[in-house]
Amino acid sequence: MSLLQNINLWGDDIPYLSGLREKNRISFEKRGLPDSKTEDWRFSYFKQDDMQNPVIDNEPIKCEGHCHSNDKLPFNALQIRYCNGKLHIEDWNLPNGVVIKSLIEAVYDGDIKSYLNKSFNPDDFPFAALNGAYLEQGLFILIERGTVLSEPLYIKYHNSADKNRLCNIRNTVVAENGAKATVIEHFCAEENAVYTQNVVNEIFVGNNAELNHYVWQNEAKSAHHISLNSVQVKSGGNYSAFCANGTCKFSRYESYVRLLQSGAAAEINGVYKLSETEQVCDITTNIRHLSPHTYSNQLVKGVAKVRAKGVFQGQIHIAPDAQQCEGHQLHRALLLNDGAEIDCKPELEVFADDVKCSHGASSGDLDKEQIFYMQARGISEDEARKILVDAYLNEVFALNKNPDISEWIKEQF
Amino acid sequence: MSDVLLQIKNLYAGIAEDEKEIIKGLNLEIKAGEIHAVMGPNGAGKSTLSYVLTGKPDYEVTSGEVFFNDKDLLRLAPNERACEGLFLSMQYPVAITGVTTNNFLKHAINAQRKYKGLPELDAAEFLKLIRGAAKEFNISSEMLKREINVGFSGGEKKRLEILQLSLLQPKLAILDEADSGLDIDALRTVAEGVNKWHNQNNALLIITHHLDLLNYIRPDFVHIYADGHIVKSGSMQLAEDLEANGYKNYLEE
Ligand SMILES: Nc1ncnc2c1ncn2[C@@H]1O[C@H](COP(=O)(O)OP(=O)(O)OP(=O)(O)O)[C@@H](O)[C@H]1O
Ligand SMILES: [Mg+2]
Repeated sequence: MSLLQNINLWGDDIPYLSGLREKNRISFEKRGLPDSKTEDWRFSYFKQDDMQNPVIDNEPIKCEGHCHSNDKLPFNALQIRYCNGKLHIEDWNLPNGVVIKSLIEAVYDGDIKSYLNKSFNPDDFPFAALNGAYLEQGLFILIERGTVLSEPLYIKYHNSADKNRLCNIRNTVVAENGAKATVIEHFCAEENAVYTQNVVNEIFVGNNAELNHYVWQNEAKSAHHISLNSVQVKSGGNYSAFCANGTCKFSRYESYVRLLQSGAAAEINGVYKLSETEQVCDITTNIRHLSPHTYSNQLVKGVAKVRAKGVFQGQIHIAPDAQQCEGHQLHRALLLNDGAEIDCKPELEVFADDVKCSHGASSGDLDKEQIFYMQARGISEDEARKILVDAYLNEVFALNKNPDISEWIKEQF
Repeated sequence: MSDVLLQIKNLYAGIAEDEKEIIKGLNLEIKAGEIHAVMGPNGAGKSTLSYVLTGKPDYEVTSGEVFFNDKDLLRLAPNERACEGLFLSMQYPVAITGVTTNNFLKHAINAQRKYKGLPELDAAEFLKLIRGAAKEFNISSEMLKREINVGFSGGEKKRLEILQLSLLQPKLAILDEADSGLDIDALRTVAEGVNKWHNQNNALLIITHHLDLLNYIRPDFVHIYADGHIVKSGSMQLAEDLEANGYKNYLEE
């Protein structure tokens, strides 16, 4: 079955929207899904067969309340839900200075036009092009100039096991000048669910604005998860992302960040923990320093056992004349047995001479002396290994700015 | 149950990876209430003995038997040995980044409680226990919040080992150079902590090079250990003789 189907979508009557869909559709048709020859995907491509003919439906949301299970969060948050890829339109109790609406509503109102599909070229991102061909489900979140949100926005994506769906979701998040907000994305599902989550977030961080982004990918075991976070940061703005990846069969978390003006900064941190045979978890970043005095930092740590595979591809690009930039990157992995695999591809593309850049990668096993020291105090070997793995990943969790959110993810990770 | 806590019979052991034998025909019996000291030249195999008893995987027993509390010690996993009441204060305590001292201690105490069928301590109960004990060993709450043994001074590490002894209340404690690197006050603190724990139901094996600790913790027996076995056993007098004359009279040609 073709992934490009002729189905009616909301807003087909709006030439602007159908034009964007068409543009993405052409992009996707040109390239198709990535395969082993696609440079950016060669470590972690998957065959369309793996998706097992997903349904791409245009039906309205049918929520049976599954997505409301386990909703107790240990912190206050404004909660937004997707159920099987469809946005719940609810009466969000919005604080002053925040606009939240569906993508379609934002298209009708026109306020999304300067952002939607503007932050990347679909030719470069096959899944995002596929996502764009079905532009319909999504959020438009606007944090107005100078607004500081005291509570995080929590977005929960829930999938149920009844149908194998391909969920194309496009969120647009705008933090205007001086705005500050925290967005949490939590992906979860019924245990046996089979589906493909294909999410694109376009994120715009204004002058001196601050956006903290937490992604907890806790998808069902047989799910596929592909996400692109396409980010632009203006002068003095700060984008911090943390992703925790684990459970599902195939995941790709991709971050494409453009630091547009002086003082823009980005931090991308992540952890992954793989314990299923044939599991693939890919974290790909591309941080583009396009102006002088821009800063980026990345720390990704992972743990893989059995025949799982972790992939980290990190690119730091420093444009000509982007002097006095700093870009740092570190990937470390623990391979807990011989069958596990880690592919790491750091790439520095530096066209300016007065910059500070670094990258590093390491992989190894747990320290035997440490395991014995714990055993000698009565802790079993299994428990000791677990403690050491948590300690290893904890270095990344410890960087998170919001300890409540960090702790909440860590405890369940 | 006999009052013999530890019985080592004709033990031979070496490094698992090569053929090298380090312990060669060792016999030793320790009864409840006793304090034994083992002294011997560098490289004699004293630390190896402590590791073989506690089950470090780098070492392999080639022959002999060890009974601890009438149980076949060599068949137990290292953590089971600890839970049965065997404790080793290590010559080189291991640093673990990412694990705070508090957390480490809590895991250890609760693992042993679980083994004994006792309920685990909750955060408040643990804190109460640890606060009292830490004070006794001059260990600040800042130190407990730091990653275990990471950047600790030599003396701090040794004090922390004895704090663990006092928290875990083992039946047999092996102190491998617990006195090395301690200043005068710390030596006394450590010795007092050990003496406070020691009673007629438990026993102590002290590995040391000096008399200092033995002057605080008086051994009932002193053994000279060389080339993988005990070459002479005696009383505290033997240790004093060693301090005066060295090992030359006891080493085989
Ligand atoms: N894991 C190991 N790998 C290789 N050699 C080892 C290992 N453990 C011990 N040895 C060797 O075995 C011998 C005994 O070492 P051990 O540490 O037991 O001596 P020791 O009596 O404790 O000495 P010291 O008084 O210096 O602490 C030494 O020659 C040492 O180098
Ligand atoms: Mg030694």
